[in-house]
This record gives sequence, structure tokens and C-alpha cells, in this order.
Amino acid sequence: MATEANTSAPAEPPQAPAPQNTQNEAQPKDQKSKGEQPAKGGEAAGEKKLSGAELKKKAKEEKAARRAQAKAAQTSQGQPSGGQEGAGDGGKGGKGKPKQDGQGGGQHKGHHAKPVAAPVVPKEVKPAVPECFGHLSMARRINITQADKDVDPAVLVLGQHMSTFALSDSITRLEATLYAFKKVIDSYTTPIGTTFSRHFTSHVLNPQIDYLTACRPMCFSMGNAIRWLKLQISKIDIDLPDLEAKKLLCESIDNFIHERVTLADFVIASTAADLIEDDQVVLTYAHHHLVQRALLQAQEQGKQFSVVLIDDAFERVGVEHSKALAAAGIPVTYVSDLGALRSNLRDVSVVLVAAEAMFSNGAMYARSGTCDIAMAAKDLGIQVVALCETINFTERVSIDSLTYNEIDPERLSDVGFRLLFDTTRDRYISTIITELGNASPTAVPAILRKLEEL
Amino acid sequence: MPSAVAGYAPNLDKYLKSLKGQPLDLSIENLVSLLKRRQIKGAEPCAVATAHIILQVVARSKWQNVDSLLDNVSRVGRKLASAAPTELVIGNIVRRVLGLIRDEAAEDRNEPQSEDPSDGHATPPDAVPNSTVAKQDSAGDYLNNSPGPQSRPGLFVSQSAVNIPKSLFHLLSASPPADPDHVPGSPFAGSGTSTPQHHKNSSSQVHALRSEVIDGIEEIKDEISQVDDQIAALADVQIHSGDYLLVHRPSPTVERFILRAALKRKFTVLIVTEPPRKHLAEVQHASFRKKLAAAKITVVNILNGGLMAYMARVDKVILGAAAIVANGGVISDAGAAAIARAAKESGNAVIVLGGIYKLSPETPFGEDEVIEWADPSSYVDFADGQLVGSIDVRTAATEMVPADLIDTYVTNLGTHTRDHLSTLIADHYKPEDIDFHLWDDARR
Repeated sequence: MATEANTSAPAEPPQAPAPQNTQNEAQPKDQKSKGEQPAKGGEAAGEKKLSGAELKKKAKEEKAARRAQAKAAQTSQGQPSGGQEGAGDGGKGGKGKPKQDGQGGGQHKGHHAKPVAAPVVPKEVKPAVPECFGHLSMARRINITQADKDVDPAVLVLGQHMSTFALSDSITRLEATLYAFKKVIDSYTTPIGTTFSRHFTSHVLNPQIDYLTACRPMCFSMGNAIRWLKLQISKIDIDLPDLEAKKLLCESIDNFIHERVTLADFVIASTAADLIEDDQVVLTYAHHHLVQRALLQAQEQGKQFSVVLIDDAFERVGVEHSKALAAAGIPVTYVSDLGALRSNLRDVSVVLVAAEAMFSNGAMYARSGTCDIAMAAKDLGIQVVALCETINFTERVSIDSLTYNEIDPERLSDVGFRLLFDTTRDRYISTIITELGNASPTAVPAILRKLEEL
Repeated sequence: MPSAVAGYAPNLDKYLKSLKGQPLDLSIENLVSLLKRRQIKGAEPCAVATAHIILQVVARSKWQNVDSLLDNVSRVGRKLASAAPTELVIGNIVRRVLGLIRDEAAEDRNEPQSEDPSDGHATPPDAVPNSTVAKQDSAGDYLNNSPGPQSRPGLFVSQSAVNIPKSLFHLLSASPPADPDHVPGSPFAGSGTSTPQHHKNSSSQVHALRSEVIDGIEEIKDEISQVDDQIAALADVQIHSGDYLLVHRPSPTVERFILRAALKRKFTVLIVTEPPRKHLAEVQHASFRKKLAAAKITVVNILNGGLMAYMARVDKVILGAAAIVANGGVISDAGAAAIARAAKESGNAVIVLGGIYKLSPETPFGEDEVIEWADPSSYVDFADGQLVGSIDVRTAATEMVPADLIDTYVTNLGTHTRDHLSTLIADHYKPEDIDFHLWDDARR
């Protein structure tokens, strides 16, 4: 313990002096602590004598500088000149299935892309995920230059947004992903000797998906959409010219977004708004655009109701939400955390929450803390209404919150740990509002079947 | 409230130091204002402060017999309890002392004291005991027969000073307190005409009682200081190797408990921390973490408000109690109820730690009576006009964990179930003292 505490401090400034490179691979940590001691005579302190760890670090620092420039250039350009397109040929092809949320996969350690922590912290001292949560996945910041060369610039930027949680909820991520893929399709030309439907998925699409997954584990809606997209690609007639195939695909992506996202959100928000009656007290948790939309819509309809907003104490996204509601004229009570939940629930008539995903056993995957509220509400006989687009429905089954979950990378440190989601079992949920109508949570498998038919 | 402003802010230690040099009344008033300002807060400091001041009351206030002593103690106790109504331990300590006085007095009575003519000898012998006991014992009577002579404010003071009607001897040879008819009869004996020899006798008795009671209060103080150790001694039974323990903002009691178990067992501790806000250390419970790390225990600070996500992994939830109410509900830091509920729903054990002095014979009518609301400005910015202007901001500091969510209570006396709590209450408090804090209100 003591040695570890020592290492992090002296290792912070990048050190050039020569440590003993005899033991460099074996004990990089020890070495760092010794690094500050005067080097023993024998070695001529040349570049080559640096320990592996330090070499790596140095290389990364250099890279970081280059990257910063590259990043600036890329973001300003948006669409850089080709160059990367032909590269698809040399790509390493379909690399197996993309990893999805908590698929049980490891931590992608030793993957080509290394996590880049805050600049002060040496990279090797990545805060360890507690062993008991080691099976869960986590978003990681990947430098653009470290990404696979096949990754499209639009996807690169998207990956950055996802890993920094600039795009965080499932529907926004889904939409952005599909738009980015449209650009990928746009800029693709089928190499001679192959056909679109055979070449595109494995050589162009999969690297994009891999990169996005590495940035942040895919959410269920993305998985669903990508499966759909691949199906559409495989359906394309091999004889169809590139241009038309691309046009066809882009159109169907647009339609997909329109149907499954835009219209779905509209229907759900208005259904939820209709549910709210005069003089009710609606309780909601943190922030979700669907809930906000529903509440604002109900207010526009002239309903007199008030809102109790319980915020996530460790991620205060509810502050802005409550301000937006108050600005629209809704009386809002802002509760800073889950404390005194029973007192806060006492006058509440309905709990309105939005789901990140729905499992086929009727369990709801949503922001961590949702389950606690749903349980308390259920205990007091208050109905819990979940809002969820059907694109978020998944075949998987989850009976506890640790089967599928995600670790919050922003708050993962040597001392802190945070899970982003939890799973609310079907018994705590009264109704799910989807664009296909209201359903009980046990009807999720039926909805999934119906979706297959559509 | 950020009480950490070092230097001038008075605290428990400073207050205890000041006790000796000050007149009693001033000390009492000081403590009342310290409690009101929450400069002494939390169960243990409140209990310690109460025990100290009650000790002073017993030692320094004027009293000539058991009655006036009981009066003095409960009067001060009421003041303190109403200064910090959410700190139930204050009432508990006062009740303990009241019960102690009654016990000591009863012992004195049982000792064969041949010649003990009392001050109140002039009064009819049967009336004296009845009235005294009824007055002290049946608090409910004050509520029912409020127009009695006692309901005049200020009377207690004068009684303690002037009326010296009853002796120890008579006091407890009394008939049971169920007899409210005699209540209004108290000012009867006010003669105060005690002969010198009586005085002598009673004063020696008073002296004996005083030292007995003071010893008893010292014992209570010792008990409070040893509670953590005694509870920790039970840790081995509750915590097993390989356990995943979830603790919510560990109090010193909980920390001691876990550290003791860490001597023998290897387990994992998940600490639920306070949400980030101003004036809060970067890493919470750092010293606790350090000690656990020294014992090679894995520690994780959980930065989630809702703990359902972790319950699949957790084996036991350990909560520290600020108070345990008679029905088994536990007052603890805000967020504890959500954790206990999550644990209950996932079938995990919820263990509550708290000294027996935190066990209160009261059962609050609703949660709102006993929970405390915190300063919202530590969570939302007061400069944020939109928030301040149009939004009602609520932050709970403490909350009540419903009894049905708790599996086990560990006190310094052992491990108990909810059903057993009533026995413990009966062991520690006299039924006649349970509502002592209401008397004052009733007389107003």
C-alpha cells in the first residue's frame, strides 16, 4: 500500500533520468519510486535506456501533441478529404460481433486503443475497477489518432461525444449513430471485384462499430438499429449500382429514424401528457427529454399540476430540468437527493420516469436510482409510469442491476465508483408507455414479437 | 450546516469545560442555545451534553427531597428536549436519570430506617404518598386534569424551593399511580414547617441520594463512552469472510464495528458517501478508508444515491442509528431508508447499530416530526435566481427508516429483534417518565 502511494506522486512530472532498466518490465511501479533516486553509475543515460513504461509515456506525450492538432483540424473541417476511404481494403475485416452493453466482455485491455486519463495522472495508474464489478463495461476516451484508420471522421467525432457523455441517453446516441452511418455510406465506393452488400458491412461498417463500442459500450437501441441496418444491407440486390444502393439505404435510415424515434417520441410524449390530470402531483427523477416533453405538453394543454423533481445527487442534471419546467409555469419542488423519499412521495399521484431500455422480462433499465423511487412509490401505492420507445426494447433478460450496467468513467477513481444504471423489476412498474400504446411490463415480450413482424 | 469553522464556534468540548466555572442556570441556557443553533448536534454529543448538565442539576440545584429533584431534572430535560426536538437521545438520557432517581429512592425506602419522620408529617399520612407519587408518575393526568393547581406555570419552581412536604420514606411507600383523584391535592402540605431534627435527617438522606444519583449518571456517561467498543465486540458474529458490506455514511460506531471485524475477517466494504457539495472533503471517510486499507480490506466509495444497483452483490447493509424509536423505526442520515428498502427488496440483511441510549420510548406520529431538513443552499446556488425565485428546494438531513425494513438491531447489550425492543424499553425507562417532555406543553 505504502509503495503505491509513493509511486503516483513522483511519477507525475515526466521524468527523463535513467533508471535501472534491468527490471523495467517486471516492476514498473517500483521503478518509478526509485526514479527519483540518483541513477547508479553504470548506465549512460541515453534514450534507449529508458524503461518501457517511460518510453511509452514519452511517446504518448508526443502523440498527444500531434493529436491535439489533428483533432482541432478534423473538427473544424468536419469532412476531410478522402484518404481514408480506400484504406478499407487493408482493414482487418469483421472482427467478430461488436460488444454491447455489459456483454460480459472484459475490459478491452490491451486493445489497440489505450485509455487516456486526465493529463496529470500517469496512464499506467488507471484506477482499478473493484474486482466485484470487473465484468461491467465502461466508456473510455480514445484519442482520435489511436483509432483504427478505417474509422470515418464523422464516426470519430461521434465516438468522442459518446465517450465524454456529451451524447448520453440512448435515443440521442441512436440518432447520432445512424446519421453518422449515413455519412459513412455516402462516402463509400465499392472496390472493384466485390459488391456493396458483401463488402460494406464487414470491411467498412464493422470497424466503425468497433470504434464506437470501444468509446462507450453500445446501448441496446444502437444494437437493435445496427442489426436492422445490417439486415437492410444484406437485402440489397448485388446487381444494384452503388449510387442507388446508397440512396436506398440512406432513405431507409431516414425512415427508420422518423418512425422509430421522431414519431415515437411524439406519440409517447402526448400519451404521457394525456395521462396527467388536473391537480395531480407528478414525480420525476433527474432529467429525461421524454418526460420533460410530456410535462411541458401537459402544461400547454392547460392542465394544472405540479411536479416534484428528485435529482440524482451525484449528477445534478435535474437542476436545468426543473428550471425549464418552472419557466413554463409549472410549480416545481426540487429535491436534491433520495433522502426522505417517503415524505416527498406522500402527496404524489404518479411517478413518471423514462427508461434507457426495457428487458424482455419486463425489467426497466434506467438511470441509477430509478428503481429506489419506483420501489418506494409501489410501497405507497403510487403508480409508476415508464416512458420508452420500442427501439429500446431488447430480447435480453436481466433480473438484477449488475447483469447489464455501465461504470461511470468520469467518477471512477481510486476511491470512487459509480454505476450509471439500475434495473427496475416489472413488479414495481405499473405501465409502460410506448409508441405502440400503453402496456404492462409483462407485455414486453409480446411487443418484441410484434416488432419482429413489422 | 458547515459546522467546521474552527476557532470561535463553540462545541461540545468547550461547553463541557465551561461547565465548572458557571452558575447552573447559565450553563443550562448555554446548552439550550447551543442545541438550538445545532452547534452541538448528533446523538452522542447531545447525549453526553445532556448527561453532564443533568449531573450538574443533581449536584448543584436546590432540592430537599426526591420530588423536587425529579422536578428539577425533568424541567431542565424538557428545556433541552424542546431545544432540539429531533434529538431524541436528550429525552432518553433525562428519562434514564429520572428512572435512576426513582430507583435509588426506592432502595432508600426499602432500607430499614427506623426513625424517619418526614417534613410532611403534619399532613394526613395517606394523602402524602398518594399525592406525590401520582403527581410525578402519571403524566397523562396532567393532560387530563389540566386545571389542577399544578397547571399553573412557575409552581414547580416554588415547590422545589418552598414546599418540602414529603419524605423519601413516604414517597415510595406509595400506592400505584393510577389514582388521579389525588392529584390536585399537592399544595396541601406546604407548611414547610420542619423541625430542625427532621431537617438533619432528611439532609443526610438527600446527601446520600445525591451521591447515588451522581454515581448513576457517571455510569450512564461511561456507558455512552463505551458503547462503540461494546457494539464492536459483536462484529465478529455479524460479519463473515467474503461478505460484501454496504455502509451508509459510516458513523464512528459503524467504523469501529467494521474495523473490529477486519481484525479477523476479509471482506469488502462499500461506503455510500454524501453527495458532493460545498465544504465537503474531496475523498470522504479518508481515515476510515486508510485504516481499512491497512487491514487489507477492499473499500469502495459508492457515488450513487440509489443503491438498488448494488444490492445483487451486497450481503449486508449496516446502518448507524441516530435514534431508534419504540416501534423499531430508525432515524438515520438521509438516504438510509432508500438503501434499507433496496436491501429488503433484494433479501439482504439490514443491521442497525446504536447504543441502548439511543433507544427511545417515544413513537413519533409521523416521519416529519423527527426528521431534519438541511440547508438547501449547499446543493443549489443561491445566486441562481431562477431556482431561488420559483422553485421549492428540499433537502433532507435525516430520515426515518421504517421498522419493517430492518432485520437486526445491535446495541451494547447485544443483538435484538424488533419485538425485543419493547422489553429493552421497559428495562431502561420507567413508564411514568415516558411522556415527561409533554408535561410542559400541557401546562401551557
